[in-house]
Amino acid sequence: MESRTSVPGEAAQLQALTQFLQDFCATAKLPPATTLPFEIALEEIFMNVVMHGSPAGRLAQVEVSLALSDDDLTLAVEDDGPAFDPLALPAPDVSAPLEARRIGGLGVYFVRQMMDAVSYARTGPRNQLRMSKRVTRSDAAPAGTNPG
Amino acid sequence: MNTRIEKLGLVTLVIAQGRLDFSAAAAFQAQIEQAVAAAGGAGAAMVIDCAGLEYVSSAGLRVFLLAARSAQGAGLSFAVCALQHAVREVFELSGFSRVMAVHPDRATALAAAVPKPA
Repeated sequence: MESRTSVPGEAAQLQALTQFLQDFCATAKLPPATTLPFEIALEEIFMNVVMHGSPAGRLAQVEVSLALSDDDLTLAVEDDGPAFDPLALPAPDVSAPLEARRIGGLGVYFVRQMMDAVSYARTGPRNQLRMSKRVTRSDAAPAGTNPG
Repeated sequence: MNTRIEKLGLVTLVIAQGRLDFSAAAAFQAQIEQAVAAAGGAGAAMVIDCAGLEYVSSAGLRVFLLAARSAQGAGLSFAVCALQHAVREVFELSGFSRVMAVHPDRATALAAAVPKPA
């Protein structure tokens, strides 16, 4: 099962992209606990493109695709902005005191922590970030249960 | 997202519901700032009840950071409570649960918010 959509890289598109993801997951019968990490990953990566991916005077175009295999859901976010590898950002200091806390870098850190696999590639004029995670469908028996 | 603010004696209770994503963050931040300004200063407290909060991204987490700082600046005690699983995960991954008080439910948060008279 696969689906893709394309939107301009502007903040107002976040809601439409979230809806796209939620519709896909509902059709695939994935439980909310499974889809929430993908919603966070989508928002964090898309908003990175919105903030940094559009050079002056031109809006980046962002393509989002979802692919569900037997075990894994893969989310890919591609954009035609300048080359930028968010995975190269330094990890945030998650032990800093309240006064010294910064939000920069936390979004990508969440993505790394919540997904099983994350990779970046620059292919021609496009950035591609792929994120995948093992999923359990709600119509399947939960792992570890032993029917009967 | 939907926010309701209640005053319970010295405690300003902020009841947050729905999705705190980038789109919702600015309005939530404005409401928190107003609530901090109206909360009453030293000796008073602010508690954000997250029982109805389904989703928080890094943009949403930023509002909690600013809220904790401005409460601290105003002399208020500050706590959050009743985090759903997905929200708790974001608080724990970011280390925010180590720099601000996180209570399991509203009753515990309210009891801890204002010192009992001796």
